[in-house]
Order: sequence, then C-alpha cells, then structure tokens
Amino acid sequence: MRRRARLLARWLPAEAAREWFLPSLSDLEVTWATRRANHPRLGWLTGIAFVCGALMLWVDCLRLAAIAALRANRSVPPSAAHSREYSAMLIRDIRHALRLFRRDPVFSGAAVLTLALGIGANTALFAIVEAVLLRPLPFASDEVMVLRYRDTRTGQSKDFVAQGDVVDMRARQQSFEAIVPFNNVEAALIVDQEAIRVEGLNAGHELFRALRVEPLIGRFFGPEDMREGAADIVVIGHSLWTTRFGSDPAIVGRSIQLGTTRRMVVGVAPKGFRFPPAANTDVILPMRLPAAAPAERRNWIHAMARLKPQTTAAQANAELAALSRQFEADFPATNTAIQYDALTVRDAMVGDTRRALLLLLGAVGFVLLIACANVGNLLIARSLARRDEMTIRMALGAGRGRLLAQMLIEGLVLAAAGGAAGIALAWKAAPALAALVPQARPIPGLTDVSLNASVLAFSTVVSLAAALLFSGLAAYGLTGSTADAAATRRTTASAGARRAASMLVAAEVAIAAVLLVGAGLTLKSLANLMTIDPGFHADHVLNLQVALPPGRYADAKARRDVFLRALQALDAAPGIEAAGAGVVTPLTGNNWSIPLQRPERPLGPGERAPDVGWQLASAGYFRALRIPLRSGRLFEDRDGPDAPPVVIVSESLANRFFPGENALGRRVVLGDGTAEIVGIVGDIRRASLDDAPRADMYLPFERDQSNSVGLFVRTSGDPAAAFSNVQTALRRIEPRMVFYEARTMDDVAKESAAVTQLAMRLLTGFAGVALVLAAIGIYGVMSYSVRRRTREMGTRLALGASRSDIVRLVMYQAGAVAGAGLAAGLLAGLVAARMLGTILYDVPPWDPIVLSGAAGILLAVALVAGYLPARRAAAVDPARTLTVE
Amino acid sequence: MADKRSLPALTHLQFLVLGVIRHDEQPGRVIRQTLAAYGVRRTAPAFYQLMSRLESSGLVSGRYEQVVVGDQAVTERRYRITAEGSRMWARAQDFYAEVGRLAAVRWSNA
Repeated sequence: MRRRARLLARWLPAEAAREWFLPSLSDLEVTWATRRANHPRLGWLTGIAFVCGALMLWVDCLRLAAIAALRANRSVPPSAAHSREYSAMLIRDIRHALRLFRRDPVFSGAAVLTLALGIGANTALFAIVEAVLLRPLPFASDEVMVLRYRDTRTGQSKDFVAQGDVVDMRARQQSFEAIVPFNNVEAALIVDQEAIRVEGLNAGHELFRALRVEPLIGRFFGPEDMREGAADIVVIGHSLWTTRFGSDPAIVGRSIQLGTTRRMVVGVAPKGFRFPPAANTDVILPMRLPAAAPAERRNWIHAMARLKPQTTAAQANAELAALSRQFEADFPATNTAIQYDALTVRDAMVGDTRRALLLLLGAVGFVLLIACANVGNLLIARSLARRDEMTIRMALGAGRGRLLAQMLIEGLVLAAAGGAAGIALAWKAAPALAALVPQARPIPGLTDVSLNASVLAFSTVVSLAAALLFSGLAAYGLTGSTADAAATRRTTASAGARRAASMLVAAEVAIAAVLLVGAGLTLKSLANLMTIDPGFHADHVLNLQVALPPGRYADAKARRDVFLRALQALDAAPGIEAAGAGVVTPLTGNNWSIPLQRPERPLGPGERAPDVGWQLASAGYFRALRIPLRSGRLFEDRDGPDAPPVVIVSESLANRFFPGENALGRRVVLGDGTAEIVGIVGDIRRASLDDAPRADMYLPFERDQSNSVGLFVRTSGDPAAAFSNVQTALRRIEPRMVFYEARTMDDVAKESAAVTQLAMRLLTGFAGVALVLAAIGIYGVMSYSVRRRTREMGTRLALGASRSDIVRLVMYQAGAVAGAGLAAGLLAGLVAARMLGTILYDVPPWDPIVLSGAAGILLAVALVAGYLPARRAAAVDPARTLTVE
Repeated sequence: MADKRSLPALTHLQFLVLGVIRHDEQPGRVIRQTLAAYGVRRTAPAFYQLMSRLESSGLVSGRYEQVVVGDQAVTERRYRITAEGSRMWARAQDFYAEVGRLAAVRWSNA
C-alpha cells in the first residue's frame, strides 16, 4: 500500500514529487504506523484513511505545482492580487466546464448517470458498513466483551458459559474489571389488568458499571440486592417508562406485577439503553449467582465482561484459555474439550455479516472503477472534438499544466454532479439495501442506517478520487497528442489515446469478469442451498410462538393441558392438516445440546459424554414437518411426565451410538434416571441449511414446563393466510393467549441462506451494471476506432476487400481487447473467489461451469457490442470516403 | 553599524522555523506542529514547499532517516540549520533585540 502510494509521485512534476509530496507522505506514514500500532483492530480502517490521505496530499501537491507553474510563467511575485486572479481563473474554468456539459447533454448525462450509479452504490453500501461496523455502540466500547465457549471436539461455538465456570472465573481472573452473568428474559407485565409482553435481562449488579451507565432516575442494583432473601426489585427501560408509565418520576418505589411476582421499581435506565445493543431492554432483573460454584456445572448462562485498562483482548483470551485448561483438569466430566474465549460485543452480534458486507463493499468499489474507466473513455472520445480548442489554447500560450488543470476542473465538476446524484440515489437505496441484510440475530445499527456526516464524507472522498481517476486517465490518453496535433493538424487521436482507450476497456472487461465470477459462484451456492433436503418439508408450514397469559396457569400441569387442548383444536380446524409443538425452530442457528450416555457403558474417569442436539416436541411436530418415522413410534398421550421416560432419536444418533444394534428399546441416561428409545426418525439439518445433519434426541413436549411454546402448523393452503384461522382456534381455548414471531417455515429456510442470498443478489446486480458499462465501453471504443479508420476502410474496400473482411477485421479488434481483459479478469476472479469463503456452499472457487459461463457471457456481450460498429464500418462507401479527405 | 540598521532578510515564518531547529535537528512534522502552535497552519505539501525553499537558499539541510513505529519501518524527513542559517537567524535576533532595546530606552523618552 505504501509503495503504491509512492507511485502517485510519478504523476507530479519532479520537484513537487521530490520536495513536497514524498516528505509529506513520509509524515503520513508515521501517523498511519502510530495509529496502527495503537489500534491494531482498526488495521483496515487506518489503511483506508492512509489511502485517502495520500490522495489528498497528491491533489494538494498538484494545486501547488499549478500555482508555481503559473507564477513562473508570468515571472511576477506572488501577491494577494494574484490569489484573487487564481480564484477568478478557477471560477472561469468551472463556468467553462458547465457550458461544455450543457452544450453536450448526451455526453454529460451519460457521464453523470454512470458516476451516479457507481458513487450511489458505494455510498449506500458504505452507509450500512458505517452503521453496522464502524459506528460506536451505545454503552459498549471495544473493551466490553462477551464470553462464549467452543467445543474443540465438534468445533461448535455458543454464546454461553456454564454457571459454575462463571463463578470460578470471577474468582480467579485478572484481565477483566468484572465478569457479569446475564440471561435474556421475557415476562408479562400486568398494567391495568392487561398483560403486556416485555423483554429484558437478568443480570449481575456489575452490569451497569461495566457498561458505564448511570440511571436516569433512581438507582441500579448494588451488591446488597444480590443477597439471598433480598427484596424483589426491577429497573425499567426508558421506553417502557415513557410508553406505559407516562414518564412518571414517582415510578421509583412503586411495585409492578411482573409475571407472578410483584417487584419494586428502583430505577429507570437512560434513554436508548439496550443490552445486548440490538435487543429490547424493557426490564432488568437482578441475577443472583451462588457464592461457590455449584457441583452441577451445566447450567448455561450468558456472560459479559469489561477489560481492565491496559489489558488487551489477546491477553484476556490467553488467560481464559489457561482457565479453561484448569477447568478441564478439575472437572473433566463437564469441561473436557471446552474452551472459553471473549470477543467484542460487536463481533459477537455481527458475526458472518461482517465478511459479507466488506466483500460487497469491495465489489461495489469495482463497479465504481468501471464507471470511472467509462467516463475516462468518454472524455478521451470527446477530446477528439475538442482538439482544435486545445491547439488554439496552446498556440495562445497555455502550458500543458494549465490544460491539465482545466481537465481536472472539468472532471471535478462532473464528479460533483455525479456525486450529488449518487447521494440522492443512496438516500433511497441505503434503507432498501439494509432491509436485505439478514438478521438471524439482531444486528446493531442496521435499523438506523442513514447518510450521516461520515457517510457524506466518504461519498465526497469517493467522488474526488473518481474525478482524479477518470481525469487522470483522460489526461494520460491525451498526453503528447495535443502538441503533435497542433503541429500537424491531425484530426485523429494519438497512439497514446488509442492505447489508453483500449486498456480502459480491457480493464472494464476484467473487472466485469471478476464480478461475474463472484455472482456466478454465489448464484450456484444459493441454488445448491435451495436444493438441499433439510430432512423435513418446510412448505405449507406456519411457525409461530404462543404464550399463555401470565399468572393464570401457575401449575405446570394446567399449562400442559392448555397446550394439549390447543393442539387438538388446531388438528380439528379447517385447512389444517397437522399441528405440533416444539421448543426449537429448525434452521434458526440453534445448536443447543445435551450429553448422551448409555447406562450400560459408564464414563471412565476424566471422560465427558459426547453432546447431541435436543428438542422437546410433540408427535404433531414430526407430522407437521413430515420428519419421517423410520421405526418404532412417535410420542403419545401416555408419555406424559408421570409415565416412564421415553425419547425418540434421529437416524444419525442411532447409527453413531448403537452401531450394529437396534436402538429401539435401548435406554439412554436422562437426568438422574434413564429413558427408553421408542422411535427413530429421519435426520434433519437443525441449525442451518449448510449445517450437516447431526445426532438429535427428542424428548416429549409434555415435559416442558414453560409458559410459551413454538407451534408448527401444516396447512392445506397458504400457511401465511392460515394465521387468522390458527388465532381463532387458539383463542377459543384461551382468549388471552399471546402470539408472536409468526412466519412460514419456507421463510425460515430462506433466512437460513440469507447471507449467501444477499451476496448473490448484490453481486448479480453489480455484475449486471458492470456488464452494461463494459458493453458501452467496448461499443464506444469500437465506434470511435471505426470512425477514425473510415478512410482506411474505404481504401481496403476499394482495393478489393469484401464487406465480411471488414466486419472480421473490426470484430477481431474487439475480440482482442475483450479477450485480454477476460483472461486477466478470470485470473483475478479466481483469486477474489477465495475471499467468498464461507459464503459459498458446495462450489469450488474454480468451478468450471461458472468460469466458462462468465467467459461466455462476457465474450457474447463484447462481440455484440463490437458487431454494431463493425457493420457500420462495412457499410462505408469507398468512393465517398476517398474523395472527402 | 549600517548592517545592523537594515531590516533582517528572514521573514517571521523563516525566523520561527530556524528558531525551532537552531539547537537540534528536528523532523519536519515536529517543525510543522510548532508552527501550528503559533497559528501557522499549512498543509503538509505547503509546509515542505517552504522547507524546500529554505533548503535551496542554503539555510537548512534536510535528510531522510528511517524510524521504526510499532512494527513498521518508515522514513521521516529531518532538518538541521546550516552555518548560513545560524548566521542569518542571529542577525535577525540582533535586529529584534536592538529594536526592542531602542524602543525601551530611546523612543520611550522621546
């Protein structure tokens, strides 16, 4: 990067490069290296700042060089009068540029539209990147981290920590100010006899200090609130306070009914407080941890932590690794192969989306490069018409620097218009793009995408860089030709201009090839994902969460009975083929697991039972999702909590843990006792479509104690339309039942492939734009070439060449340019495809069908774009062309 | 005496720059920061244009030196005052001191 920045010096006068630019660049390098050392996590961001800074230095040197050249030409000392003269000259140039663009509206329109597309797309995508990846999170800086565990045997990571491990970690660690346990909660708030569903968290009292938050009114928890027997208290969120309690400052000290417990409000959180940052935090309840770690270490909770000052994340993770090894040695039965680490809240929440966003930002940068190349080409083509103007200017004493400065001003005017149009485009496009970003889990900032000062600054820098790029390209194309033309009165372009135009088109083709390869690979990945058999039928299935009115069904048996009656009512409802209940919704990333052990094979000392996926499900769950029963039976009414425990296992589990045996009738350890395997069902892809089927164990839904459950309803018609029928049927059983998160399982499946789908959609869009721009580029260059060679074509025809010879000649030229670009583009595409990494599914980066498809499409477009000018060349009348000149 | 009565050849800005490096060699960015502290804000290229002119006039000499920042080896431009620069700076300083002395003693009595 630094070496490339130094190359900018080549495009400056020698003195400006040596004496002004290079020392300035050295200073910039020192600043960049210092920031990089102090903020290693912002490596790529400081890189972008460095590139922008280098470009600005270059522009400044160009400005100083132009002023110095003008002063030298006029041999007068600098003065305020001259400064005014430079300003007047600048204004004259801008007016001249505006007149030129008004005189040629087709050229101006094409250039501005091309730039608007490139700058607009870049601005829109950067707005999302800024909101999601760059904007500081409220209350959660990079020192705030979340802890997670990774099972090194399976490679699976979860944002959980065993409660016992948290207790021990808090006692032994040195890297964090505090490790704070928390859990998400949903509860019913009873206000005026009405139950409102609220969300929030249970958390340790250190949460607020770790997040550096002060209460708006009242107080937060203290250590005294964590003691056994302390009063039931709650802190409420600002939004709940304003919407449900009318911002009443006397709320502190009042009791509210939360679920079955009355709790005293002790404080109100400040406006905008959310933790985790994208979640709703209506209520915060104290979470009490035991003083000593419990013997049973498998009670999973979340934990966040704040780094101590001067402690890096790497040091903290090294300590967590050491602690994990200690736990592994001390508690092998639960901690074997369990490794804890910490990552920033943002990293934990953004996950894979970061990679996709940065990749797409790179791709959209390619689109801008093509746009710049096209505008550069347009400028070169137009320069032929302006040759006389330039020669007259030179004859009147204008130096080369003066002409270049004027071209730069014209470029800046074009870029300003394109940038303004691009920003207007991005204003609408950014929210639309944000809506496409998958949210398997809430992503902070995504709902607040806007064109703020940072985004507008980015857009300005991009417009400036674009102006420099295409003006520079056009200037390079014209270098030397004007002087020659002045001497010879030639009306054709120089070899430099022709070469520059051809190189630009080849570059456009190459970039379009890279984008086409990317689009093709993601398209094929998505097709592969969509054809995956998840092991169940997602079509015609409605999935929704239902919750019973709080406080009404205190007894677990009463809750179970209502849910069973609800399922029976759904089974009998018109248009519903099957209905079942399940705690885990497949394909939503859930990979909760429990240890599986055969009672006849006790674990050896220091051995941990392998984990398998688990689900609480009713028999209707299997029927609604059409998960095939391989042998045995599904759950029945007789499998209630009072009956002998039974489980159903997946085929993978049966094969893995009962190889060569019939698993039916065998027993597995469940809690303190054992359960009989009564059925074997087909495998399903549980966490996501690209997750291989794993061993799963199903427990009867009747064992569930909770107040809410997920329903799976197979309908004969449109499942979304069946929602009102489902509501009606369930409200007959319980009129105050709460419904939320209703969606079809088809949508859930699509969401599972959403990152790939987003990449596919945008890359295909970008590739489409790139293809059109490349086609316009080829057409423009070939048309220009044909016009330039009219006399040559006439001569060839006069000497006996056939019209097909002429077509072949022109097509060969178009093919050569496109072929060179294509070869380079496919090679670059192979390299770029590796960056797609996890976004691809079952497609190698070198997939021959994708590569040949991209090549075929580009060649076809190039040949069509070249054919039209070729036909025009063949239609030349030799008699006329030879007499005209 | 006639020399002493003539105006110094250095501008205020040049006097300030030479003053910064009168005793020690300094990196360009440090000199630029010092100028900024006196309200002289110049872009980096404009600042180095100034330094280039001083160098051409033989008042300062510049060289590149490699320094290591974090894990990066980078170069920085450093400047030292020349004998001619020291002489010019001393003359300017004498001039200001003389004018100050005269202003305090003679003209205030006038």
